[in-house]
Amino acid sequence: MNPDLDLSIERVIRAPRKAVWDAWTDPASLAQWWIPVPTLCRVDRLEVRPGGAFVTRMSEDGVTFVPHVDACFLVVDELERIVFTNTVDGGWRPANPDPVAMTAEITLHDHPDGTSYRIVVRHGDPAARKRHAELGFAEGWGTVADQLTRFAANPR
Amino acid sequence: MAQYLAGLDGVFLALADPTRRAVIHRLGHGPASVGILARDATMTLPSFMKHVRMLESNGLIRTTKSGRVRTCELNRERLAVVEDWLAEQRRLWEERTDRLDQFVTNSEERNTT
Repeated sequence: MNPDLDLSIERVIRAPRKAVWDAWTDPASLAQWWIPVPTLCRVDRLEVRPGGAFVTRMSEDGVTFVPHVDACFLVVDELERIVFTNTVDGGWRPANPDPVAMTAEITLHDHPDGTSYRIVVRHGDPAARKRHAELGFAEGWGTVADQLTRFAANPR
Repeated sequence: MAQYLAGLDGVFLALADPTRRAVIHRLGHGPASVGILARDATMTLPSFMKHVRMLESNGLIRTTKSGRVRTCELNRERLAVVEDWLAEQRRLWEERTDRLDQFVTNSEERNTT
């Protein structure tokens, strides 16, 4: 884990591991929770096996569906672990995902209250960082805030 | 999230152009009139105005008109969207986990009743 680039989430879900696994791997179930309502989710491909495609689309009006996730499963351990990345698309083509390249690892373990659910998302360097440098704010956006604050305090 | 993504796309799109980045950079030092900003750009005023409008419609800058002078000002909150990308990704995954949790526990209740 790189704290500047990665995130992890741990949660105990009060349901058996099989139920959580099914919610992830059954297209109709995934579509129910993957995207927040009222946006509609369509699961185009959910081939839960190493090298399998993970493609979802979303729609505001139920008519026009736009790309959402186009990713590829790297590791699938039945009932235990799912790893996928958006740096390779569902057709194994190298991708430049927006807003940021990532690999997500989902692990499930039995817990006395149900399932211990853990997510680790490892990110590539986001475009934001490069833009950041290009904009010339070497010391970060904080500099802009300082400049604005100073400006407000000392009107010309 | 869709709204957020669309918004973020707009911000990145707005920042993807050197003229617009130069405007943001200049406004980092304080508000400036369109006239002053346009002087630094090597293009006609109507072309330059398109860039200003794009920055404004994506919320990166605010403009106010006083008489014949239109003044541009940086919207720092909007820029924070780009800065806080990791916090946004975390929020996205937290909310996604909330929905999964709710979906699974609701299904369990339906199955046991």
